[in-house]
Amino acid sequence: MASVIGEPVSAPAAGAVIERRRRPLGNPWRRPWGLEGFTVLYIAWSILPIAVAVLFSFNKGASQATWQGFSTKWYVGGWIQSVANNPELHQAVIQTLRLAGLTTVICVPIGVAFAIGIDRWRGRTSGGLNIVMIFSFVIPELLLAVALFMLVTQLLTFIALGTTAEVAGLVVWNLSWPAIIVRARLVTIGKTYEEAAADLGASQLGAIRRVLMPMLMPAIFASTVLVFASTIDDFVIVEQVSSTAATQPMSVLIYSNVHGGLQGPALNALATIMLFFSLVVAVIGYVAYRWMTRGERKAGATEALTSIAGM
Amino acid sequence: MPGGHVQLQSLTKRFDEVTAVDDISLEIEGGEFFSLLGPSGCGKTTTLRMVAGFEPPTSGSIVLDGVNVARLAPNRRNVNTVFQSYALFPFLTVAENVAFGLKYRSVSKAEITTRVGEALELVQLAGYEKRRPNQLSGGQQQRVALARALVLRPAVLLLDEPLGALDAKLRRTLQVELNALQKQVGITFLYVTHDQEEALTMSDRLAVMNRGKIAQLGTPEQVYSEPTDAYVADFLGVSNLMDATVETSGGAGPCRVRLGEFVLGAEAGDLRATGKVKLAIRPERIHLHPHESTGANQMPGMVERLVFLGSTTQIFVRLANGAALQALERNDGKGLPYSQGTPVRIELPADALRVLPDPGVGVSEIHEETLGDLPLDLATSAAPHS
Repeated sequence: MASVIGEPVSAPAAGAVIERRRRPLGNPWRRPWGLEGFTVLYIAWSILPIAVAVLFSFNKGASQATWQGFSTKWYVGGWIQSVANNPELHQAVIQTLRLAGLTTVICVPIGVAFAIGIDRWRGRTSGGLNIVMIFSFVIPELLLAVALFMLVTQLLTFIALGTTAEVAGLVVWNLSWPAIIVRARLVTIGKTYEEAAADLGASQLGAIRRVLMPMLMPAIFASTVLVFASTIDDFVIVEQVSSTAATQPMSVLIYSNVHGGLQGPALNALATIMLFFSLVVAVIGYVAYRWMTRGERKAGATEALTSIAGM
Repeated sequence: MPGGHVQLQSLTKRFDEVTAVDDISLEIEGGEFFSLLGPSGCGKTTTLRMVAGFEPPTSGSIVLDGVNVARLAPNRRNVNTVFQSYALFPFLTVAENVAFGLKYRSVSKAEITTRVGEALELVQLAGYEKRRPNQLSGGQQQRVALARALVLRPAVLLLDEPLGALDAKLRRTLQVELNALQKQVGITFLYVTHDQEEALTMSDRLAVMNRGKIAQLGTPEQVYSEPTDAYVADFLGVSNLMDATVETSGGAGPCRVRLGEFVLGAEAGDLRATGKVKLAIRPERIHLHPHESTGANQMPGMVERLVFLGSTTQIFVRLANGAALQALERNDGKGLPYSQGTPVRIELPADALRVLPDPGVGVSEIHEETLGDLPLDLATSAAPHS
């Protein structure tokens, strides 16, 4: 201001206001170009290789490096090496879906029960179990896979290598998803709704069935999607405990052939199919989560995303 | 009366080390509107939750129409609760919410529809059957919660700060409605609140709670105008509390108390008290006079602060001995003859000056205890202490 403090303030003449300019870099309202640029760069860096891999699954020739024109022959059609025609690849797709389906069906109910159990169970045991749940995020998957291999080959020999051992391993590895996501939702919901149900005449089981289950549905669904998607991607466990070629899912097959160069773009096609499944499942999960929580003001796009992403 | 007689006998609840409810006994008549009033943490909600069946009591009994229900599950008791957060099921429509409890009674489909309709009619929400709770305003959700509980025709309706989440104006409207509704249905209401205005305006009788015990039980008039201890006087509306000593005990007549260098007459409260006491007087009973005036029960003081409250103005005055009092003057459009620093004479009429037993703690500690979660006018008056 132009007037000095303490002096009588007279009306300033027009033009007496001093304009102060901000320093060029001192603008707090400017667009964050740096951050935006870095984000775009990061996304490009992570998507580009995938895009190239997908692109070459549509290559007319047998090369994974030189583009020779568009074709879907590596997916379907008479071509002997296409995914649809090659029994080995064909088998891998089926085995992947079978593992994902079985694991999800077994893992999610156990996880939900686990979450409700830990939530009810007060005291030290529940705290300990909580830490065990987080353990599976921390311990290396390879460790679990090797341990599982030892277990089923040395100790629990009645569990056969192959689908049984694979499912057992995947269930253990993925159990934390439903347990943690459903538990988080339980904490958000609180005990009041169950109390209200009991107050209105519902038994304990009745309150779980008529009130808690519908309210947990979004979380249960989100964890179903996650378990399914993460089983499709899984490699470390299934690689350890798969037995014959018949129990090799897509990930193992791609790994064992990528350097042998046997199938060429058919492998890209296989990877693309895997990617496609994961994406579809994630999108279904996101849309369904938004739809199921539409009655709740708080559950916005971000919550849906984070729940699906499992954070 | 269709029953609804509640008797709490030596009811106690301990959580680990903390005693939330400490040996409470009280009796609620059928059809009565009874409130439990107190700051947060005084045990009022725990008491309600024990009656509802959400918490098992550590000891004592809850006798509902002659049956001790203390060990029964919530779904086996003929009481229903209206929760502070409403707890409406978000995935059900309004009608489905209201019908929820009827599914556990042997009631035909047709009757369910009729009764849901009647209940919604009762709370003035007819036509909202198909909405979901999140499409309703807070006040409407509150009404649905009420309908959901009333449709089961409970012997006792338990209300846990049901108006706590609403804004002041809506709260007033709903207070009136809730009261009218209670008279209409004739069901016993057990109402928990920390809002003294709510408790005073709505209840037939109320119990003021402090530290898990009942500090005073009576009609709103009794509890407000004849508080039996300093805590109740302070919690129920703004009260001026002062430390004083009894000069001459009154017996049948008025008693003389010493407040600093002044001796005043007091005609209310425990006139037989001796030794150290607390004096209480309501702000609206204090009169301010020009500083040259003389008369009985007057002391000199100085205006410290004026707070405009709308219909009234709160005047903080400081006594010569350092104690602060607040007076309340009606704003009648003439303007007040005081401003900050004006010397005045403060008159504490003997019939309004109440002698209360000394609880053994200072005035500021009592204030602190009653400051749990308080309405705005209390908050401003408490400012000098915080």
